[in-house]
Amino acid sequence: MAKSGDSIHIFQGLLVFGNVVIGMCGIALTAECIFFVTDPHGLYSLLEATENDDIYAAAWIGIFVGFALFALSILGIIGVIKSNRTLLLVYIILMLITYAFEMASCITAATHRDFLTPNLFLKQMLERYEKSETVNNNDKWMTEGVTKTWDKLMLQKQCCGVRGPSDWQEYTSAFRIMHSDADFPWPRNCCVMDAQGSPINLDGCKLGIPGYYNSNGCYDAISGPMNTHAWGVAWFGFAILCWTFCVLLGTMFYWSRIEY
Amino acid sequence: ALLPYVPRVPPATLPGKLTATTFALERPCCIFDRHANVSDTIWLVVAFANASAAFRNPPSRADVPLYERLATTHSYMTLEMAAAAYACSAPSPAILRVGGDTACGGQGGRDPCNGPLPSPGPYRVKFLVMGCHGPKAETRWSDPILLRRASSPSTIDPVPARRGSDAVVIASILASLGGALAVAVLSAMGAKAWGSLCHQDSGTGAFAHRSYRTHHIPPALPQPLPPGCRCSPPGLGCFAPWPAS
Repeated sequence: MAKSGDSIHIFQGLLVFGNVVIGMCGIALTAECIFFVTDPHGLYSLLEATENDDIYAAAWIGIFVGFALFALSILGIIGVIKSNRTLLLVYIILMLITYAFEMASCITAATHRDFLTPNLFLKQMLERYEKSETVNNNDKWMTEGVTKTWDKLMLQKQCCGVRGPSDWQEYTSAFRIMHSDADFPWPRNCCVMDAQGSPINLDGCKLGIPGYYNSNGCYDAISGPMNTHAWGVAWFGFAILCWTFCVLLGTMFYWSRIEY
Repeated sequence: ALLPYVPRVPPATLPGKLTATTFALERPCCIFDRHANVSDTIWLVVAFANASAAFRNPPSRADVPLYERLATTHSYMTLEMAAAAYACSAPSPAILRVGGDTACGGQGGRDPCNGPLPSPGPYRVKFLVMGCHGPKAETRWSDPILLRRASSPSTIDPVPARRGSDAVVIASILASLGGALAVAVLSAMGAKAWGSLCHQDSGTGAFAHRSYRTHHIPPALPQPLPPGCRCSPPGLGCFAPWPAS
C-alpha cells in the first residue's frame, strides 16, 4: 500500500509541476503578445492597409489565452492536490476550450505570415503612397497611414522602396501622378539627409550617385519585425500546446482513476 | 569640323541615369579646346533617333530649334553652355542631366529649355559648337538612347509562390494533437458513463483517497467468571466455598 501511495504522490507531483510550467508559460505568452500588439516598430498601418492583419488578431487571442492558461493552471494545481473530480473536470473542459483558441491563434499566425511577400508591400506602396484622390474616409485613413509609415521608414532605416529606388522607376504609381519624374525620380526621403532634414545633394540624389541616396530596399526592415511577431506567436504557442497536451492527458488519466 | 567624340550615357550603374523623362550624359572634357574660342557656345542637340539623319545644323543662333518645338521639328537644342564649361581645367561634375528642368518651357520664352522629354524615344544626341557666324564643330551622333517605360502596378502579383513549410508543420501537428485530446476526453467520459450505467464495481486499481472506511467494532461481551470461585460482596475477596456440613 505504501508503494502505490508513493506512486500516487509522484504522479500528483508531476501534474503539479506540469501545471506550474503552464502557468508561467501563460504569463510569458501574455507578455509577449502585449509587446507585439503595441507595435513598437510602427508597421501596423502597412498591415491594416493590406486588409490582412490577422497576425495581430493572433496576438490578441494570445493575450487572453495566456491569462486563461495561468488561471487554469492554478485551478489544476488545486484540483490535483485535493483530488477533486469536479474541479478536475471543470479544469479539463476549460483547458480544452483554451487549447482550441490557442490552436487557432498559432495556425493563423503561421499561415498569414506567408502572405506578407515583398510584392504585397510593393503593390501597396505604389498604389497608396501619397495617393491624392481618396474615395472615402477609410481609404483616406489607410493612405495617410501608409504614407506616414513609409516616410518614417525611409528616413529612419535609410532605405528606399521595397527592393530599392528602382521600384519607383519600374512601375507607375500614385506618387508619380503627383510628382514629375524629372524632379522626383523617387521620393525625397530616399535622399541622404543632413541634420536639418534636407538632402545634402539633391542633384546627386536624383541621379543616383552613391552617397547621396539610399540604395537598399526597405523590405528587410519591414519583414524582420513581422517575422519575429508571427513566429513568436506561432512557435511559442506551439511549444506551450505540446506541453499542455501531455499535462492534459496525465490529468485525464488521473481524473479517471479517482474514487468517489 | 567633325570631332570623333561620341556622346554616351555614363557606364557606371547609377539608378537615375535613365528615367522615364530624363537621361544623363558624360560631360566631354578637353574635346572642344582646339575648336572653340572663349566666346563660342556649345549646345547639345537632341533628336529622335529616326530624325537624326535629317537634322541640319542651324546657321545662326536665331534659328536654333527650341524645346517647345520638339513635337514638330523632332529635334531641339538645349544646354547652351560656354566653351569654358567643357575645358580641360573646368572643375565640372562629370555628368550632364538632360531633361532635369521642370520650371522652364511653356512660357514662350526664347531661352533654351532643358525640359523633361515627352516620350521614351529613342533619342540621339550630339554636341554642336556655335560661334558668332554659325556652327563651327560638332561631335558624332550618339547611339540611340531609349528611356524607361514604367509598367502598371496592377501587373504585380502579391500572392505567395507556395505555402511555407513552417505553417504546414504547425497546422498539421496541432490539428493532430487537438484531435487526440478530443478523442481522449470523449473516450474517458464515455467509459465513465458506460461504467456508471452498468453499475460495475470500479474497485480495481482505484486510488483510495479521502473516503474513510469505518470498521464497525461491536462492544465486548462480559466474560463469564471462572468456575470455583464465587466472589462475595466486594471488599471481601474470594474465599473458598463453605464446607458442606
